Amino acid sequence: MSTYVYGITAASHPSLPEGMGGVGDPSRPVRILRAGDLAAVVSDAPEGLRPKRRELLAHQNVLSEIGAAGCVLPMRFGSVAPDDDSVTAVLAERAEHYLERLRALDDRVEYNVKANHVEEAVLHHVMAGNPEIRALAEANRQSGGGSYDDKIRLGEMVAAAVKAKESEDGPALERALEGAADAVSVGPESTGWLANVSYLVKRETAEEFLAAVEQVRSDMPHLEVRLNGPLPPYSFVEPGPAEPAGTAAGGADTGAG
Amino acid sequence: MTVVPAQQTGGGGGSSGLYDVLELVLDRGLVIDAFVRVSLVGIEILKIDVRVVVASVDTYLRFAEACNRLDLEAGPRKSPGLPEIVGEVTESGARGKSKGALSGAAETISGAFKQAREGDSERETESRPRARKSTAARRKEEQE
Repeated sequence: MSTYVYGITAASHPSLPEGMGGVGDPSRPVRILRAGDLAAVVSDAPEGLRPKRRELLAHQNVLSEIGAAGCVLPMRFGSVAPDDDSVTAVLAERAEHYLERLRALDDRVEYNVKANHVEEAVLHHVMAGNPEIRALAEANRQSGGGSYDDKIRLGEMVAAAVKAKESEDGPALERALEGAADAVSVGPESTGWLANVSYLVKRETAEEFLAAVEQVRSDMPHLEVRLNGPLPPYSFVEPGPAEPAGTAAGGADTGAG
Repeated sequence: MTVVPAQQTGGGGGSSGLYDVLELVLDRGLVIDAFVRVSLVGIEILKIDVRVVVASVDTYLRFAEACNRLDLEAGPRKSPGLPEIVGEVTESGARGKSKGALSGAAETISGAFKQAREGDSERETESRPRARKSTAARRKEEQE
C-alpha cells in the first residue's frame, strides 16, 4: 500500500489532525509518521488518485488544519511514497534541512494576492488617457457603430492600451504590498490575472498586511484584488529564485521578481 | 500564540477564491524526488492561457462595442452597481464570449476544473491548448 504525503512538520507540533479525512473516496484517514524531531502527515494512497477538485480540496483541508496550530511544510499535491518506511527514511535522511525550513517559516503564513482589472473601469482609464482612441470611438459612434474594420481598429488599440495598463498595475500592486511582508514569491504570469503574488507574512503582523491590502483596494479602485490566506507556505517551502535566500529576513527589499 | 486573522477568501467570492487556492496546491509546495507524483493528466487544461487581453477579433469587437457605449461623462467605477453595467454593455453577444473578460476568465478556469472533475476520460487534455509558454521557464526556476 503506497503512502500519500500531505506535509512535514515538527514532531512537537501541538495538534496534528490524526484521523481526519484525507484524499480518496471514501476519505482515507490521516496518520502521523514520526522520525526523530520530524513528523510526516500521511494517509494511505487511494488507487487511481487523480487531481480532481475534491482531492485537491482534501489535500488543502488537511494542510490548513495542521497550519492552523503550527508550522508545516506543505507537499505539492499528489506526492506518493512507496510505503511508510520510505517516508520516515526521507525524514531521517534530510532532517537537518527540513528542520531548518520549519524554523525559517515558523509563525509565518502565506497570503496569495491575485488581481484583475475591472473591465469597465480600465476602459474608462484607457479612453480618458488616450485622445486617439477617444476620437476613433467617437467617430464610430457617430456612424452608428462604425464599419467592421473600424471596430477592429478601435478594439486593437484599446486592447493594446489595456495590456499596457496591466503591465503597469501588476508591479505597482506588488510594490505596494511587499513592505508589509517577509518575503515575496511571484507566481506564473498571464493566466487570467495581472498580478499573482504570494507573500510570506508573520502571524503577528498579519493585520498590517491586511491593512495594506485594503489600502491598495482603495488606492486602485480599478482593480479587483483577490486575497487568499492565511495559507500554509506553499510558495516558500524551498528557497528559490523567486524569493531571497533568507526567507526569514525582513524588509521590503526582499527581491520581488 | 498570536491571534490568527480570519481566513480571507477571494474578493468577489465564489469559485474564483477556491480556484486561486487550488492553483497553489497544484503548482507550489514541497517536491521530494524520492516520492512519485500522481499523474496530473487532466491538469494541463488549467494552464490554458486566459489572459484578459487576448489578441483576437472577438476581443477587439467586444472592446470596440464596450467603448462605443461607455459613458465618459461618468467617472470610472461611478457606482457599485458595476456588474449590471457590464452586463448591459455586453448583452448583445453570445454569453460566454461577451461577458466581462475578467469574470469570463475566472469562469473558464472553474469550468476547466469542473471538466477535470467530471470527465473521467483523459481525452480533454489533448484537445486543449498546451501549457502557455512561460511554464517551461517557471519549471526551470523551480528546479534551481
